[in-house]
Amino acid sequence: MQAEPSKISDNDLLKAIARGDEGALAGCYDRYRLILFSLILRILHDRQEAEDVLQEVFLQVWRRARDFDESRGRAFTWLVTIARSRALDRLRASSSRARLATEAEQEPHDSMGDAAADAVRSEEGEIVRRALAELPAEQRRTLFMAYFEGLTQTEIAARLGDPLGTVKTRMRSGLMKLRELLRDRSV
Amino acid sequence: MEHQEYKELLAISALDALDGTDALHLEAHLKTCVECRGEISELRDAAGLLAHAGPMQAPSEDLRARILADVRAEKQSVRPSERLSNVMPIAKPPKSGFTTQWLRIAAILLFVGVGFVLLSMFLVAQREIGKLTREVEIQKTELNREREARMEDQKVLAVIMSRDARTIQLAGTQTAQTARAIFVFDQKSGRAVLMTDGLPMTSTEKAYEVWFIPKGHAPMPGKVFTVDSSGHAMITDQMPSEAMKDAVIAITVEPKSGSAAPTGAIYLASPAS
Repeated sequence: MQAEPSKISDNDLLKAIARGDEGALAGCYDRYRLILFSLILRILHDRQEAEDVLQEVFLQVWRRARDFDESRGRAFTWLVTIARSRALDRLRASSSRARLATEAEQEPHDSMGDAAADAVRSEEGEIVRRALAELPAEQRRTLFMAYFEGLTQTEIAARLGDPLGTVKTRMRSGLMKLRELLRDRSV
Repeated sequence: MEHQEYKELLAISALDALDGTDALHLEAHLKTCVECRGEISELRDAAGLLAHAGPMQAPSEDLRARILADVRAEKQSVRPSERLSNVMPIAKPPKSGFTTQWLRIAAILLFVGVGFVLLSMFLVAQREIGKLTREVEIQKTELNREREARMEDQKVLAVIMSRDARTIQLAGTQTAQTARAIFVFDQKSGRAVLMTDGLPMTSTEKAYEVWFIPKGHAPMPGKVFTVDSSGHAMITDQMPSEAMKDAVIAITVEPKSGSAAPTGAIYLASPAS
């Protein structure tokens, strides 16, 4: 690859991977390893399993990059969706839901594992974390339960002991707030 | 579902949290609605931002090398089966939990259906039991009637077969020339049997009454009875002791509840002794 990996857009990176460019895949890994690993780890709560899944994710990216259609959504979304799906599949398969619960209700925060992570603390991430912090706690909670635990609206309502309608409204309001960030071009 | 209702489900679907009939309805709707497909794509992008929410953690350093080794191995021996095996979650396949949900719903419906069937069977059984109970009551009543009739017949037989039985013939009067009757009585017990023939049916307000008229005595009332359509009657009665020696027996028409003294026409009478 000619240009610096960080200067190529996500879309172009995926296009290059689709063409069989190993360097593009390495570049994609470098760009996304933290966010994807953190996401998978938050779902599975096990480093070894999270690493296994991350490996599977990039193999899938390598194989399916040509399926990415930029008209249907962001490359970022495509990548995190693969990671989330694989992690939730692994979670369900290993019936390790018991490990959950305590993590799900935590406020979002950065715990920097190593110095390298500092450098990749993205602007986008900061903006999103600030927006999430501003959400009412119940809205944030329902979003996290759905996203990180893979729970359905019914399961969330049951877990919280709240009416289904209330849960639905909270999820909608919370997600609309995040959508505003995209529309305002903040991210 | 109104379109607005579908729109309200989009955010939940974008979080893969939609289940039940909501999920089914939206899935069908999205096939035909470009507006909603566009919006759900945008909402999925918004949901993806949640990946920023967790604490940033780094995987071990050697993972990069392992992944690139995988990729190279893949490149060298292209394995068609594996190429096809991974499903791309852009167009996300239905949640496995979704099928389970439907199985659950189907099981509940089946349960409810079976419950209804059992309930209606129970109600039908209850009705049948009610019917049968009523029939048993009717049968009992009929049995009692027949038992009484049989007892009556036995009384009649007892009178007729008695060694002390005496028979009196009654003849029809001008009023009922075709009428005949036999009066048999046991001289010891006074038990009597009356058998009539050829008596016209009375109106509903009237009935026949038996009279025992001992010599020099006012008529003594006996039983009140009615005849069937062929003019037959068979009744048992008790002859008053005063009438046993010599009495005329007569039958008149009276009000249906009977009379203390004869008021109506005489239909049958025994000859004066």
